[in-house]
Amino acid sequence: MKKLIQFKHIVKEFDGKLVLKGIDLDIYENEFVTLLGPSGCGKTTLLRILGGFLTPSEGQVIFDGEDIKNLPPYKREVNTVFQKYALFPHMNVYQNIAFGLKIKKEPKDIIEQKVMRMLKLVNLEDYAERNVTELSGGQQQRIAIARALVNEPSVLLLDEPLGALDLKLRKEMQRELKKIQQEVGITFIYVTHDQEEALTMSDKIVVMKDGEIQQVGTPTDIYNEPVNRYVANFIGESNIVDGMMLGDKEVVFEDKKFDCVDVGFEPRQKVDVVIRPEDLDIVPREEGKLKGVVKSVVFKGVHYEMMVETRKGTSITVKMKVSEDRPVFNEAANEKISANDFYLDVEDVAELDEATIVARADAQAWNPDTDEFVSIKEIVYSIEPKIGKYPVTFTTKAGTSITVNMIVKEQNRVTSREYNEEIYAMNFFKKADEIHESMALETDLKTWANASAWSLEDESEVEITSVQYDFDPETVTTGLYDVTFATEGYEYKVVSTDLYHEGDEVGLTFAPEDIHIMEKEG
Amino acid sequence: MKSFQRISYPYILWMTLMIVAPMLLIVLYAFTTQGNDVTTFRFTLENFARFFQDAVFLDVLKRSLIIAVATTVICVLLGYPIAYVIAQHNPKNQMRLVLMVTLPTWINMLVRTYAWMGILQDDGIINSFFSLVGLGPVKLLHTTFAVILGMVYNFIPFMILQIHTSLTKMDQSLLEAAEDLGANRVESFLRVTLPLSLPGVISGITLVFLPAVSSFFIPKLLGGGQYVLIGNVIETQFLTSGDWNFGSAISLIMAVIIILSMYLAKKVDRSPESLGGGSKG
Repeated sequence: MKKLIQFKHIVKEFDGKLVLKGIDLDIYENEFVTLLGPSGCGKTTLLRILGGFLTPSEGQVIFDGEDIKNLPPYKREVNTVFQKYALFPHMNVYQNIAFGLKIKKEPKDIIEQKVMRMLKLVNLEDYAERNVTELSGGQQQRIAIARALVNEPSVLLLDEPLGALDLKLRKEMQRELKKIQQEVGITFIYVTHDQEEALTMSDKIVVMKDGEIQQVGTPTDIYNEPVNRYVANFIGESNIVDGMMLGDKEVVFEDKKFDCVDVGFEPRQKVDVVIRPEDLDIVPREEGKLKGVVKSVVFKGVHYEMMVETRKGTSITVKMKVSEDRPVFNEAANEKISANDFYLDVEDVAELDEATIVARADAQAWNPDTDEFVSIKEIVYSIEPKIGKYPVTFTTKAGTSITVNMIVKEQNRVTSREYNEEIYAMNFFKKADEIHESMALETDLKTWANASAWSLEDESEVEITSVQYDFDPETVTTGLYDVTFATEGYEYKVVSTDLYHEGDEVGLTFAPEDIHIMEKEG
Repeated sequence: MKSFQRISYPYILWMTLMIVAPMLLIVLYAFTTQGNDVTTFRFTLENFARFFQDAVFLDVLKRSLIIAVATTVICVLLGYPIAYVIAQHNPKNQMRLVLMVTLPTWINMLVRTYAWMGILQDDGIINSFFSLVGLGPVKLLHTTFAVILGMVYNFIPFMILQIHTSLTKMDQSLLEAAEDLGANRVESFLRVTLPLSLPGVISGITLVFLPAVSSFFIPKLLGGGQYVLIGNVIETQFLTSGDWNFGSAISLIMAVIIILSMYLAKKVDRSPESLGGGSKG
């Protein structure tokens, strides 16, 4: 195949912002090339540079051996299908398609022949006289394609042409576009953010991010051999775990050694290990290379998608003391007041204020007849940042008061060297009623226990994904209970046509060639 | 919604009193002559007959139409390029330029017309300049040129605004599409921009033609006493001759001409699609 277009170190700057940071890319004859990336990655900018609507700040655009960087759009042998079609509203379908030919002053009968042939190609033969504003989105799209193709360009540029269509129509147009491209045999350059679209239609995919090309390859290459975490995540779904190369064809992850087919890494080099969900097989536990528990099952039509946890995350267990609600009753003022003991961190004592004390002690006063709240006027306490018990007294205006203890303790935290993260939570007191009434118990438990987790590398928050407890929230009574908070551990997405259930203990297996090793980014 | 409808009642009342009632009165006056007694009306077509049988009035009507058409054509030819140039700027500058176009309309039209009298008269700025370079005073004031100049000056902002609006409303990707399909600047202007801005041109024409055809103080001030347009005839009938019936009849004739021309304009306006609807290539 012949090289048709060469982008040579294309840089584009808008108001001091680099949108393209030096793009080098070759495009051959008769190729279906897709520029793939999220919005803002520069893919449309690159297309518009080729179309002639933008001039690159630096670099060359070689077309058929000539630099066309400064050629206006109307002198270029490329035609564009615009995102919102850009059909001329004051012309009918026929006139829209004939536009380019009329400009070139082709004879009338030739124009008619060509337009009719195009209408046939896009399956809209009977629509020549229609007004374009009366057409559906899909039909307008086809007219836009016909209008561009009728000029017999050597390259057709398509800027997210299917973005405005619904899913079913989009699939149909994908097939049709591919068919048209094979029929007319010219280069298509297609811009999209839809990875599935890219995989189904392209001969070559160019994955872009932040104005740079991440990877260029066939759909199979890109899918099976992504060069980095970004590409692996953008194209299809994948399990990516941290690993380390031992040498050629040997990798360690989850503290186990596995065979793989990748070579050329340094010994002890840290890597990302990719395993696609469909490459993992669920087997009986004892046969598995990895062992785990099914955490969730989602039915996807043809198959089930399951999450298998092979290793728990960092976890911490705290005690929840459920006490009976014994409010103090002041008969003279007809008021009740209640509060409970609570735990405090040594480190938090300095920042303690009255609002926090009321919240943590759950202090409240009310009129038992009307159930209306009475405000707490006075809070008396003295506390030191030392381990011990410190009383606090809440009093209303009418003199109703209750005294509870603030228990100051050492910080309770668990550090995981493996995940390089820490999790923190505190014992707490609760009344049975509050647990019964909780609308979102797991979230409330996190709040009550002050549970949080963070990364030791950059102090960023780590989500607590699991909250487990040994009581039944409907019927819980006074007593001491365990609540365990945990972060996410190693989880693998697996697709299988066999159904397993949540909690099943299973094994996971894979072949050496199913593992793909990538260099760590950055 | 009902409660909102009620809010409109005062306006409907106001419109009835101030617009519909006077119109009906004009129609009534036009078809009657003054009787001896104030309360009795005699229905007649005399007023119309008088207008159409008198060559002087028909001449005045013809002249008014010619002046109005000339004004409108000049407004289109001058206004379109101005609007087009404004539309090429970024939105902020566009706002400033549009403001500059509309700025003169903040000052009373009469005052501005008086200012033109000062500029155009025999010892005005222009003639003073001419005499400096040795040219004798040229008669500028009280000519057809002066009348048309005054009208174009006063009415062109309406044309520019209308065309500018229709140009900015146009989808810019249509121009890219035209260029992409091989049209150079001129071709894409002629085949895309111009036809798509026609609605703006049409409404601009309406907004310029209507006041131009019925204006009376511009011909009076800049055309001088002897320069009579149809607006002046009507004015004379009401203010000088006191023949309200004849004045109303002429007003009605003008109204019919205006309604007809607006109808035609609307038809052209809608035609961009139908213009070439049937043709193939």
